[in-house]
Amino acid sequence: MAPKKDVKAPVKKAEPAAAPAKKAEPAAAPAPAPAAAPAAKAVDLSAVKIEFSADQIEDYKEAFGLFDRVGDNKVAYNQIADIMRALGQNPTNKDVSKMLGNPSAEDMANKRVVFEGFLPMLQTIINSPNKAGFEDYVEGLRVFDKEGNGTVMGAELRIVLSTLGEKMNETEIDALMAGQEDENGCINYEAFVKHIMSV
Amino acid sequence: MDGWNTFFFFFFTALRAAVLIQKWYRQYVARTEMRRRYTWHIFQSIEYSGEQAQIKLYNFLGYLMDNFTPSSNERNLISHIFRDHEVCQDAEWERYFCYKNIQVPEIYSGPHLCFPVTAEQAAGLVEAFRNKKQLHSRYVLQLLLETWRLLRMLPNISRISTCHSKEITICGDLHGQLEDLLLIFYKNGMPSLEKPYVFNGDFVDRGKDSIEILIILFAFLLVYPTEVHLNRGNHEDHIINLRYGFTKEVLTKYKMHGKRILKLLQKIFSWLPLATVIDQKVLILHGGISDTTDLGLLVKVDRHNYVSALRPPKKKFQSSSRTSIDSNAEDWGHHGLFQRRASFTCPKNLGSRGNFLNRSLQDFSDRIKVGKEDELQVCQQGAELFQAGVDPVEKGGDSSFDPVVSDSAKEEWKQILDLLWSDPMSQDGCIPNELRGGGCYWGPDVTEDFLGRHNLQLIIRSHECKQDGYEFCHNRKVLTLFSASNYYDVGSNRGAYVKLGPNLVPYVVQYQASSMTRELTVRQSVGKTERSALKVLREQLFSHKSDLICAFKRLDGENTGLVSLNDWASAVESVMRLGLPWRMLRSQLATGKAADGLINYHEWFNELAIKGANADHIDQGLLETLYRHRSTVETIFRIVDTDNSGFITMEDFRQTWKLLSVYLKMEITEDAISDLAVTIDSNQDGSIDIEEFMEAFRLTDKKSRLERGRSMFMATATDLSALEGDPNV
Repeated sequence: MAPKKDVKAPVKKAEPAAAPAKKAEPAAAPAPAPAAAPAAKAVDLSAVKIEFSADQIEDYKEAFGLFDRVGDNKVAYNQIADIMRALGQNPTNKDVSKMLGNPSAEDMANKRVVFEGFLPMLQTIINSPNKAGFEDYVEGLRVFDKEGNGTVMGAELRIVLSTLGEKMNETEIDALMAGQEDENGCINYEAFVKHIMSV
Repeated sequence: MDGWNTFFFFFFTALRAAVLIQKWYRQYVARTEMRRRYTWHIFQSIEYSGEQAQIKLYNFLGYLMDNFTPSSNERNLISHIFRDHEVCQDAEWERYFCYKNIQVPEIYSGPHLCFPVTAEQAAGLVEAFRNKKQLHSRYVLQLLLETWRLLRMLPNISRISTCHSKEITICGDLHGQLEDLLLIFYKNGMPSLEKPYVFNGDFVDRGKDSIEILIILFAFLLVYPTEVHLNRGNHEDHIINLRYGFTKEVLTKYKMHGKRILKLLQKIFSWLPLATVIDQKVLILHGGISDTTDLGLLVKVDRHNYVSALRPPKKKFQSSSRTSIDSNAEDWGHHGLFQRRASFTCPKNLGSRGNFLNRSLQDFSDRIKVGKEDELQVCQQGAELFQAGVDPVEKGGDSSFDPVVSDSAKEEWKQILDLLWSDPMSQDGCIPNELRGGGCYWGPDVTEDFLGRHNLQLIIRSHECKQDGYEFCHNRKVLTLFSASNYYDVGSNRGAYVKLGPNLVPYVVQYQASSMTRELTVRQSVGKTERSALKVLREQLFSHKSDLICAFKRLDGENTGLVSLNDWASAVESVMRLGLPWRMLRSQLATGKAADGLINYHEWFNELAIKGANADHIDQGLLETLYRHRSTVETIFRIVDTDNSGFITMEDFRQTWKLLSVYLKMEITEDAISDLAVTIDSNQDGSIDIEEFMEAFRLTDKKSRLERGRSMFMATATDLSALEGDPNV
């Protein structure tokens, strides 16, 4: 298993410098890697070339409108990550924060952006090669497959999800794992990934 | 690999796996949230446009009333809903309530009531309804009489306090959902001396146990008149009840005395207090406020004059001549004593509000043509006056009477309408609530100003369904509270109630009725609600087929039968006007494979829905109009069915179609009407069964039939796509 992983991992790590923080970077400590984004400047959004078709732009506009709860044709900074996810992207909160220039919590809540300002943000995130397919997820979970029998311990997964990366809370983990564990607390991870990708 | 490398390797792979799953999960949550939002939007826009349609219908009928010559048949058909009861003496009412002649048979297994009502009996009623019993009409009438006597003594605005460390429980809309009320009582305890309650309106309509909820609330009101407080909602209104199910429910459950019960309830609704104030600091009312709301004025109005909030009150008469409750409609026009009432007209000085209220009536003046004697006539003078924005005057009426409702009465009426129908908005200002058709939208600045002027700190209102059962807005100065869980569909939303102690800090408790929902994951319940919403939406789309095809054709210059996605979305929105994200919904609504991203719109209708069984011989255009206006058609039938029997005569049926053809702007020949009538009157006895009639126009949703088939096969079939083309499924 180890050699196979070795071959794959470097490929994933070879991301262009412009991309948002890469989690797989060998950070100095096991802590979440804020060190990887020191005093980051916002990605220069005005320089981003929009490559969406007119149809796509219409789609995005609709989604944008759905999230505008105030009626001023804008959305708050703290909604941007969700809109992008609703549109099929997978940024981490950190990715978005970095792109916005690491705004303060207050800014996240109060600053708002119009649709035209949102488009380059979306383009930036789409451009960053962080796409993960079925295999990636399965590979990721295989790490925890101690016995190599296609299952992982639900409990272990819970610990990992709540302590590493952008931690999930108990409610979120419960919602994610609902109905996935068998009576021994094991999860067949291929089935699990198929399930989560079928949404 | 040495130990450290192995460790790091393992660690980083684990980290990567974690991040991958977390990112996926958050994406899933965001997409689910978006689906939930547009599903919600679908239900809400359709609900509000239904309310708007009802008000428009009412306005239309009012316009007819104001402008018809007295002898017309059509007018008589509908005049009875405008008949006013206020001139009758109370003694007459007491006689009318008379329950003494009604015998309760031996075999009756429901609850018995002995007056005065005790706490045990009230609890007994709750228990009995939990066990699906029905209260006998004798007790219902008796209860209503006692309730009416009590309500008459209450002020417009109840003032209560949280002294003695009492916590007051406040509940929002219940809408006939008994399960929710039972859940609230279970969690919070029933009303008592230590447990005061405020119920904030909309007890009835839509749910199936409206009358039971009323009975329970009235019973507790009688037992604890100082601890239980009821506010009137916009659904405590017989006009609204005609469309939204309460009228039907009562007539179905109480076949013999339903009509009388409904009439009494009309009166009782008008006597419900308008608002409640706690500790002089927290205002509780059903809808909201406007920039002109004045509690000082509201305290003084004669609230019982507003039998329906949709009409301004009748002017009181000096004449001593009385009319009995069951007076014939024909007397209406001939008595000089009765005056015409203005429907939604307002004097010009109300500015844009006035124009808004006038607008719906102006729409009708072009529909009504002056015709032969036996056809609909329009009072020319009325029409001209109307164009000028002045209230129509009764032709031949005594000019010494005030021809119109006075300005102050209109001001009062506006106050009440705003109270019961308004919604908050996030922008500053105050604008008419066009979506609902009544009241206004008010902004945070209006709230600030209002609270300041009246020295209040919080407004608690209901009227709008919220996903979590409650929602703060306007800087937490306004709290919306909704107590009917699963309102749009199973799993659509939670309900909530609020507890307020002496510190006046609202403490919200949420719940969700129905054991089924607890076992559904978020994804499943969103999915369920979404399917329901889409079904409703498909029906709506199908019933606008002609207009949609017209819109598509306009964009399809070369008549290829195809339109682009963009054109499809804008055409649909221009016809439906629901403000929905059509592009997003397209994949759910138009599943046919589109060549080059184009949509074949003729094929689209084929996959949308299929018609009910015995509707094939009826003219397509007519059919479509009927589908679209199902609710209105049924409402008009119920209005025409003056004795509430569920049947209307052939003659009335014909007259009704004339009315409808004017209102709906559809051409319908005598022959078409006869054909329809003959078809529906299957037993040829000269009367039409309303239910049967509506049944003929039931739409069957093609997709949901497929899904039923699917669920049947769930356990066994692996490849369900084969079912898609199967006409037998």
